[in-house]
Amino acid sequence: MSTETTESKDIYPLALLMDELKHDDISNRIDAMKKLDTIAIALGSERTRNELMPFLIEVAQDDEDEVFAVLADELSKFIPLVGGPKYATLILPVLEILASTEETLVRDKAIDSLNNIAHELSQDQLFNDFVPMIDRLSTADWFSSKVSACGLFKSVIVRIRDDTLRQNLLALYLQLVSDDTPMVKRAAAKNLPPIIDLLTQNPDLSNNHDWDYISNMFQKIINDNQDSVKFLAVDCLISILKFFNTKNGSAHTKDLLDSSVKLITDEAWRVRYMAADKLTELASQFVSEPSCLNSLVEPFLSLCEDNESDVRKAVAQQLPGFAKILKTSLSETDFVLGKIIPAVQNLSMDESEVVRASLALKVTELVEVMTKEEAIDHLLPILLNMLKDEFPDVRLNIIANLKIVNDSIGIDLLSESLLPAITELANDVNWRVRMAIIEYMPILAEHLGVDFFNQQLSDLCLSWLWDTVFSIREAAVNNLKKLTKIFGSEWCRDEIISRLLKFDSQLLENFIYRFTLLTALTTLIPVVSIDAVNEQILPFVKHLADDAVPNIRFNVAKSYAIIVEALLSGEDKDTNKALVKDSILPSLEKLCSDNDFDVKYFAGESIKKCNELASA
Amino acid sequence: MDIDMDDVPMQDAELTPTINEETSINDHDDFQDIEFKPGSSGIADNKSNKPLELNSTNINQLDAWIEHLGKCEILSEDDVARLCKMAVDVLQFEENVQPVNVPVTICGDVHGQFHDLIELFKIGGPCPDTNYLFMGDYVDRGYYSVETVSYLVAMKVRYPSRITILRGNHESRQITQVYGFYDECLRKYGSANVWKMFTDLFDYFPITALVDNKIFCLHGGLSPMIETIDQVRELNRIQEVPHEGPMCDLLWSDPDDRGGWGISPRGAGFTFGQDISEQFNHTNDLSLVARAHQLVMEGYAWSHQQNVVTIFSAPNYCYRCGNQAAIMEVDENNNRQFLQYDPSVRPGEPTVSRKTPDYFL
Repeated sequence: MSTETTESKDIYPLALLMDELKHDDISNRIDAMKKLDTIAIALGSERTRNELMPFLIEVAQDDEDEVFAVLADELSKFIPLVGGPKYATLILPVLEILASTEETLVRDKAIDSLNNIAHELSQDQLFNDFVPMIDRLSTADWFSSKVSACGLFKSVIVRIRDDTLRQNLLALYLQLVSDDTPMVKRAAAKNLPPIIDLLTQNPDLSNNHDWDYISNMFQKIINDNQDSVKFLAVDCLISILKFFNTKNGSAHTKDLLDSSVKLITDEAWRVRYMAADKLTELASQFVSEPSCLNSLVEPFLSLCEDNESDVRKAVAQQLPGFAKILKTSLSETDFVLGKIIPAVQNLSMDESEVVRASLALKVTELVEVMTKEEAIDHLLPILLNMLKDEFPDVRLNIIANLKIVNDSIGIDLLSESLLPAITELANDVNWRVRMAIIEYMPILAEHLGVDFFNQQLSDLCLSWLWDTVFSIREAAVNNLKKLTKIFGSEWCRDEIISRLLKFDSQLLENFIYRFTLLTALTTLIPVVSIDAVNEQILPFVKHLADDAVPNIRFNVAKSYAIIVEALLSGEDKDTNKALVKDSILPSLEKLCSDNDFDVKYFAGESIKKCNELASA
Repeated sequence: MDIDMDDVPMQDAELTPTINEETSINDHDDFQDIEFKPGSSGIADNKSNKPLELNSTNINQLDAWIEHLGKCEILSEDDVARLCKMAVDVLQFEENVQPVNVPVTICGDVHGQFHDLIELFKIGGPCPDTNYLFMGDYVDRGYYSVETVSYLVAMKVRYPSRITILRGNHESRQITQVYGFYDECLRKYGSANVWKMFTDLFDYFPITALVDNKIFCLHGGLSPMIETIDQVRELNRIQEVPHEGPMCDLLWSDPDDRGGWGISPRGAGFTFGQDISEQFNHTNDLSLVARAHQLVMEGYAWSHQQNVVTIFSAPNYCYRCGNQAAIMEVDENNNRQFLQYDPSVRPGEPTVSRKTPDYFL
């Protein structure tokens, strides 16, 4: 093979890429850019370094954002393509340009790629190339470069062992935190917690000077005049607290507590919202200082009575978590009944339905901090009231989270007080509430036992089969299967199948109910005895094979396959084989010559399946 | 934009962007200037002379597509082309007045609200176990027109005798260029090819259906040029929805409290009064005209003393109207039952209540 052809083959991809990247249609340019790695592989690492990278620097200054976004993304996989980590810094200039563009999406991708590359850089490369780049971006004129710079510090901060160099970087970061534009301040505040967390993971790295910088940054953020900067102080504060807890330093605890209270009681509702939303996490940082926790109680209660419904909504979900922390760290125990329960009481009657629904999501967890008697006397009445809430989400959230209450106060007491509410909700106008109740039935059944269940709940379970909403009928069918697994085949035969087969014929004039009955019986096949299949289910299915509605007929065909599967997996396999041959297959064959295509198709599928089962 | 619907029982399903009785298609003549000619997608170039035969290969293919689409994921452009070609060979053999058997569940506008379509199947039962008749307007307005129409067409090809899909006034090249489907195709596929294929396919959709010879179903309403159902059978429907004439009227007209024929504020079709509906039902021995096309707050609304019913199946239309949706179940004894439902629950999507500050985070 001549060298000429090899060479022209090599040149080809780059020429092609250049052509495609000059295409008028942007979608062609995007597609070309997505193939960048393939082209680099074709070029080989040397030519990628010498030709492709300079070319990309040009591209990165003259195209559309969509193309830039793809380029920034592609470059993250480029280290092997330029010849390994020792050449990795060659990728930085292109990404530096992209990190300075105006479009956020492009910048974000460039930052991700830069951070990925930073992992593979050596110390020297970091010092000589990466850090100077951060420096340039941080001190650029335009806000976009500075915003990008904020996202890069986390890749270097703990890799710099030299105290002076690291503190220089922190000084630079402090400059970003104190920037004039809110965009830069926000980016800096947002990226501060991960930096602090890294210092927490490397506790011996930082000294008091580092912490002077960080404390300065925090003060800037918490005292910013923009809400959208200030509310980011909550996350910073949590990270700082975590650091000192790891270090076992309690010298700053008092100051940090003051900051916490300041944020919780801030005049801007967004700040209070953030504090409320993170309250449990924040409070959990003070577990070793009961007196500090104590001084959070009043601010916390004030959040529960906040003027803004969004703040109340956030804090409503934090109630149980906060109560658990207080319970484990404080010796006094009456705060649950004295402080928490009144707050819950108020929130459960909040004027905003969103707040009530939010409370309902977590409120049942409060049983974990109460004795059984306390829960019965104080929490249960609130739950019962919330089950009567006019807003369906409130009812739904309570029901969906009742299990934990079972575990604590016992199903007997719960059912005694909740049963009336549950039977009422079983007919709720909102079908998703009915659905939640159905899904709760197996749990109730398991605890209540068969006698109680037959008396109180089996009628209800059957009534759902005739619901107007398909999903409820479907859930009702599956519920019967779950109940049979609990109570056994005999029970199912006597209490369910026999009653189903006696259903009044007028109801069955509507194909929907014939269909439901067929589905119910078919679904029960795997959990009942072979006798029940033979004596009760098969005759019913068979009689529907001549139904006037094709949808019923093709479901009969499907049902046959399941019956056959059950018959041939049992003990009397040979007797049943004859039954299948004499009684089921002829019916299926008849369905195979039905007028309706779908009946023919599903009957054919079932015959195939039956033959497979018979020959197995 | 506030829409006060309390004192108006029915609203035009066309709300925005131009609240001023939009879509008089005659004002949108600019489509003629665009290069998109009917038939240019090529999906109907090799039409079969007999209906599509389902075999195990194409059934497996369709089942795979339906499963994929059921997750609200679009098909590839090549697969859409394959699907549309198969659909042409199903739909071209349907009639202008497609006969439909009972039991069947009759549904109105869906308008690209894919998740609400899935909710509809949760309420009414999945197809093919339940038979469905959709009365048009699958695309435009909602964010998932591509997924919605792909899904319904795939179901139609897979279970031709279990589901019927009629044409609505939005199943048109001109309207979809204004109300979203065209832009959505461009956004999701990067070119207009998929839009060309579907709009070419729309020409083959049947325009009306007759349920058990008793319920006449269509998207819009009656036409002064149509007195008998046989006259509908004589139309040539395989074309872009015309600007006027009987085919246009069937897809555009609305019932009205005023008697006789009236000029429609929509700029296409007519309004018709109770006298017209009664006469039409009497002449054709019908019990009911079922149609869609207009937003109704309860999801369904009777008019003309139960001679006409409007069914609308897009809950919280345009994600902000706050209306319920409904479907009408007709059982094998011709008993009717309306099922109303609310928007599906979609975690992560904006709800009607005030947004929490998550936006700032």
